[in-house]
Amino acid sequence: MSNFARFAELHVPGSPLVLFNVWDAGSAQAAAKAGASAIATGSASVAMANGFGDGQEVPLEFVLANAKRIVDAVDVPVTVDFEGAYSTDPHEGARNIVRLADTGAAGCNFEDQVVGGEGLHPIPVQAERIAAARAAVGPDFFINVRTDLFLKAKQDTHDEAMLDEAIRRVHAYAEAGASGFFVPMLGNLGFLGRLCAEATVPVNFMTYPGCPSDAEVAATGVARISHGPFPYMALMARFEEMAREALG
Amino acid sequence: MPSTPSQRFATFAALHVPGDPVILYNIWDVGSAEAVVKAGAKALATGSHPVGDASGFGDAHHVPLDYVFANAGRIVEAIDPLPLTVDFEGAYSTDAEEGGQNVARLKATGAVGCNFEDQVVGGEGIHPLELQVSRIAAIRRAVGADFFLNARTDLFIKYDTRDDALVDQAIERGKAFADAGASGFFVPRLADPRQIERVVREVPLPLNVIAFPGAPPKAEWAAAGVARISHGPFPHRALMAQLTEAASAAIN
Repeated sequence: MSNFARFAELHVPGSPLVLFNVWDAGSAQAAAKAGASAIATGSASVAMANGFGDGQEVPLEFVLANAKRIVDAVDVPVTVDFEGAYSTDPHEGARNIVRLADTGAAGCNFEDQVVGGEGLHPIPVQAERIAAARAAVGPDFFINVRTDLFLKAKQDTHDEAMLDEAIRRVHAYAEAGASGFFVPMLGNLGFLGRLCAEATVPVNFMTYPGCPSDAEVAATGVARISHGPFPYMALMARFEEMAREALG
Repeated sequence: MPSTPSQRFATFAALHVPGDPVILYNIWDVGSAEAVVKAGAKALATGSHPVGDASGFGDAHHVPLDYVFANAGRIVEAIDPLPLTVDFEGAYSTDAEEGGQNVARLKATGAVGCNFEDQVVGGEGIHPLELQVSRIAAIRRAVGADFFLNARTDLFIKYDTRDDALVDQAIERGKAFADAGASGFFVPRLADPRQIERVVREVPLPLNVIAFPGAPPKAEWAAAGVARISHGPFPHRALMAQLTEAASAAIN
């Protein structure tokens, strides 16, 4: 079975693939040792570990080289958090995704927020970017398209209108060639259930402090649970404690 | 305003006090460096093994030189004004002049010092004393007076007798390294306080030993005259074990 097929079939609605996000080859190996069936990077974690800001401030060449080192370090499929593919131009973004696929990665996250700007790209713009990426990278690469609708708004403002917008986006993105749909910071289980019922591609939930349990999330039909920057942040807090103890 | 290199060199050298050792909790990238700064460190040190493991290149000169320099430069910038010393293994060349040039390039990243070891990287045993002395002298010529060249002997790693005859050899090396221009003497796996006392007494350089799981308490080493205690690969290993544990809890 190809790396792509292996990765795609891990996305089972109701029995989600759990991704414990990493940032370098060493952390990828540590997660693989825990029995991870796939490895995902987090862009914020990669940025923090290397002293860059998030929001495409990690140089593209660094992202690609880091991805290649991670792919070479583990025996399981790797998906890379690729932010906005480092271009608002659909064809340049698509070329960047092809370069990412050339590292051996099985997939990527690709987000609809205007990186370094305000708000989200309109649906037709984002759909065009997805279609260009799909045409360039071929049918198998797992393009996990992320909407930042819920990330950009406080959780107590998440309402029906936003859910409707998310449903419009998942339909348009799936039609344009997305393999999955990622909704970070959507935590309303009722909304997740309705989104999963509407979506024709696997839905990805991101954990955050105080979020519903994996079991509750799985019951809504989610097919993938990732951890974003939280493993990195928790581990670095722990490292600080270890250092404080050693420094005495 | 960023600190000047001469400020950082002076700060770093002054931290090496026999009996009141500077503690270096080894790091590998900017994020780990920032965590150790927050913990109150006075100086930062990379470990070549952690950098090799974290990046996936592996230890023993497998991390490309350009990566070592870029990583060091990022850390220097992130922790300013604290000083950074880099574990530079065998300076990526057995040729004395080329090793000197490599250390000069490392200095250009803003690092205040480095470890430089006498084992034959990728080979067997340790370099003959005469050769190692010529390498140290070449580095000193290449980097000028104030770069902290922490000359390491791997006698205690390569030969597990760890007896008094080995201490004699270490002392012979330490004295010769000092004459050649070393700033510090690093003997990983030297652990016995009585042996440490002998080395401190006879080698005219600040002594660096490495803390490892099961090592004597730091206070005992300090009392024996140690001036610097580093942690080598152990912080990264311990942290990655915790990551495995956390990932396992999340996945299963």
